[in-house]
Amino acid sequence: MNCTRRNFLIGGSTTLFLSGYFPKISFASMQKKNLIIISLRGGMDGLTAVPVIGDKRLKKLRKKLILEDVLNLNSDFGLHPKLEIFHKLWQKNQAAFVHATNIPYTGRSHFDGQNLMETGAHIPYKEKTGWLGRGLLASNIIGKGLAISLPMPLLLRGVPQNNNFFPSPDFVETKLIDQIYNEFKGEHNELIKSTLDTIRQRPLSMQIATDSDDRKKLALEAAKQLKDQSGPRVAVFDLDGFDTHAAQGGVDGAHADELEEVNKIVTILHENLGQAFDNTLILTLTEFGRTIKQNGGYGTEHGYGSAILMAGGLLKKSQVYTDWPGLKKKELFEGRDLNSTIDSRAVYNSAMSICFNQDPDFLRKEVFWGDHLPDLSQELFKI
Amino acid sequence: MSLNFYRRVAFGLSPHEKPYKDPLNWATNQLDAIPDFLWPGTIPTEKELRKKYGEWVYGDREVLRKKFKNDKYAYRKAKDELRIKTGERYFELNEHAIRHFQTKYSKQPVFERFWLFWGNHFAISEKDFLAEFSTGPYQREIIRPNMVKTFEEMVQSVTTSWCMIHHLDNSESFGPNSKKGMEWRETINENHARELLELHTVSPNAGYTQEDVIQLAYIMTGWAHKWDRKNLETGDIWFDQEMHQKGDKIVLRIKYKNDGKRELAKVIHDLATHPICIKFVSTKLCRHFITDEPTEEMINPVIEAWNKSNGSLIEIHKAVIQQAYKYNEITHKFHPPEIWLMQLSRMFDLNVPLSFEKMNYSFKLKPNNRQRQLSWILREIGHSPYRAKQPNGWSDLEVDWVSPELLLRRFWFASVELPMLVKSENRSHDFILSCLKNNFEDHKNMASLIHQFRFGTSDKDLGRKYGVICNLPEILKV
Repeated sequence: MNCTRRNFLIGGSTTLFLSGYFPKISFASMQKKNLIIISLRGGMDGLTAVPVIGDKRLKKLRKKLILEDVLNLNSDFGLHPKLEIFHKLWQKNQAAFVHATNIPYTGRSHFDGQNLMETGAHIPYKEKTGWLGRGLLASNIIGKGLAISLPMPLLLRGVPQNNNFFPSPDFVETKLIDQIYNEFKGEHNELIKSTLDTIRQRPLSMQIATDSDDRKKLALEAAKQLKDQSGPRVAVFDLDGFDTHAAQGGVDGAHADELEEVNKIVTILHENLGQAFDNTLILTLTEFGRTIKQNGGYGTEHGYGSAILMAGGLLKKSQVYTDWPGLKKKELFEGRDLNSTIDSRAVYNSAMSICFNQDPDFLRKEVFWGDHLPDLSQELFKI
Repeated sequence: MSLNFYRRVAFGLSPHEKPYKDPLNWATNQLDAIPDFLWPGTIPTEKELRKKYGEWVYGDREVLRKKFKNDKYAYRKAKDELRIKTGERYFELNEHAIRHFQTKYSKQPVFERFWLFWGNHFAISEKDFLAEFSTGPYQREIIRPNMVKTFEEMVQSVTTSWCMIHHLDNSESFGPNSKKGMEWRETINENHARELLELHTVSPNAGYTQEDVIQLAYIMTGWAHKWDRKNLETGDIWFDQEMHQKGDKIVLRIKYKNDGKRELAKVIHDLATHPICIKFVSTKLCRHFITDEPTEEMINPVIEAWNKSNGSLIEIHKAVIQQAYKYNEITHKFHPPEIWLMQLSRMFDLNVPLSFEKMNYSFKLKPNNRQRQLSWILREIGHSPYRAKQPNGWSDLEVDWVSPELLLRRFWFASVELPMLVKSENRSHDFILSCLKNNFEDHKNMASLIHQFRFGTSDKDLGRKYGVICNLPEILKV
């Protein structure tokens, strides 16, 4: 029997347990799997988050940015000390990293890059929907997206009825909605009316929440919703501030502050998802990495290759998955940036295929126009 | 004619206005001349603000980053001081005040609605410090004066404006066979060319190819800001022959002979008068004023007016208003948050924006909470006008504005914030009833929904009344 008793209990249904023997596949398909994407806007520096150890060239080019006290991952890579939770999860095979990866975009504009990381396309502004939205639609998963932001992020667009959570600065008396609900008559008011339904059906915790400045509270509520078997299957977080042109620093610099935010969100998700964490994948997304060389302001400029930070019980094992291109001048992209040897969209496509129970090849065609994106599910995730 | 026409094409009627005898005439008469700005406070020029932009960027990039390379705390502190000194956190607030004062008090509110439309059609999205220093003056100085000219003239001005060129990176676009392109091994940046085709003129309906985009980008090479060490990217726009791609170009099957600076005006002429462009923009206008999915019957008279007047925006605007009038009773249009707020401010005479005396800024302290209030509200209701995420601007479709949080934010504003913006003399229940009567046929039903709160005048009671009223289908839509 492939399925351990512990896993089985997580499924939650005693009746099923008592009825005995289930092949792993049907067991897996009844589990709700969560896919959580954390957008890191501004260009996350993969070499700060997951530094390569003992590279003389990096030391030379980044004299003021080199980290002391990195957390140990393996003989080649370390981990930024602010990413504690990833280190903790690494011990349990629940954290992993893809390195030297990026979307296929080399233009170094935040503006275009952020558009492309969300649409998954090649030409900025050409597509009006996001790869995650298209993936959900192709998998016929409707009304299961939750954005932790006020506007619906481009990433989730393309599938109807998404929910979002980003409460107003003060408590809203939602019973006022009851007073006007019946005024929404006729077909042309259907959309608003059904959205009012979504609001009215919200759990109390979502209704009474205020203050979206507190990211902790947002993450806590997201975890609560994701944990619910009938709740959302996809959540999108948005962080910015990774554009550290100055005072990027090492252990305590400006980039570290941002990584600390990622760490906070993942910590809260991990603590509060409970056993649902075992059926969850958390992946970061960014528009590009940063230059190898520090600039005059001890910061870095816009680059190319970066890293994806991953956490969750659906990971195959703790690993730094990479086809390391090296940091010698001729190995760098245009002589200045870490190269990208893995199209990050392959990682996202594989993650969707795992979480949405879909054939990766089908998704690749539906979501990424049949672009050549190898299936990495075997290497990265539990199947 | 229903009273909702005043909201369909404008911002509703203020307590000092009464319904007009001939609403169609009232509306079309507003479009021949550009109304002055009414804001009694400071209205800085685009050039002044661009200079401030330069001081901010230069001060930060060239001075502070080097000075505080090792100390992020000291760097942040110095940066905050520079923000105050250059007005980096102030000018956008002032622009919002200018804009909302205008829509609240303008005698030509219909003109103002078109102003908002064009500002969004030729959108400047959130990039660098454009929202802080540039988008407001761009809409005042580039968009507005062209609203009594032709569409073609509007496109010419927009395309060579500093703001749009910076926004879409045309300064970084080099003809690969130009002098500088060869020397620096640089090539084109297609952004601006693509958006000129896709968003500003012919739209993808024209069936242009990637090669068309490239060829148009070649034509546009050279239109750039004049760079120097001190102003960085904030120099004036000029045509740099040394960046310009040499040779003939072909866009949408039309050949443009090698003619340097003059090529751009020629191609814009052809794009702005292209039948597909005319149809695309006419459709957008109808979508804005009539309904999300306008029909051919709605759009065709606008196209006719366009053709007949050779693209005169005055005539086009009039045709749009006539169509909006014609279809007023049988169509519905959802209003995005900012227009909703402007309408509430006008109909209920709210204290929005803050008085100009209180908006004065000393460049010594950071803007206070009162000064930030309007911009904060706009952000919280999800519609900070100069901060669209993409160059296609804010959506005009209901489906993009209806999400749980975006609807809740309107309840939040109306029930929590709005009561604090009600003038002291307007707190009575009768005042609300009179405003409703002034603007809605169905005012009795609306009033009945707040009847139970009629005796209350506290902020909380007002919050309940406005929370209900402002979110009724009659107010969210026309």
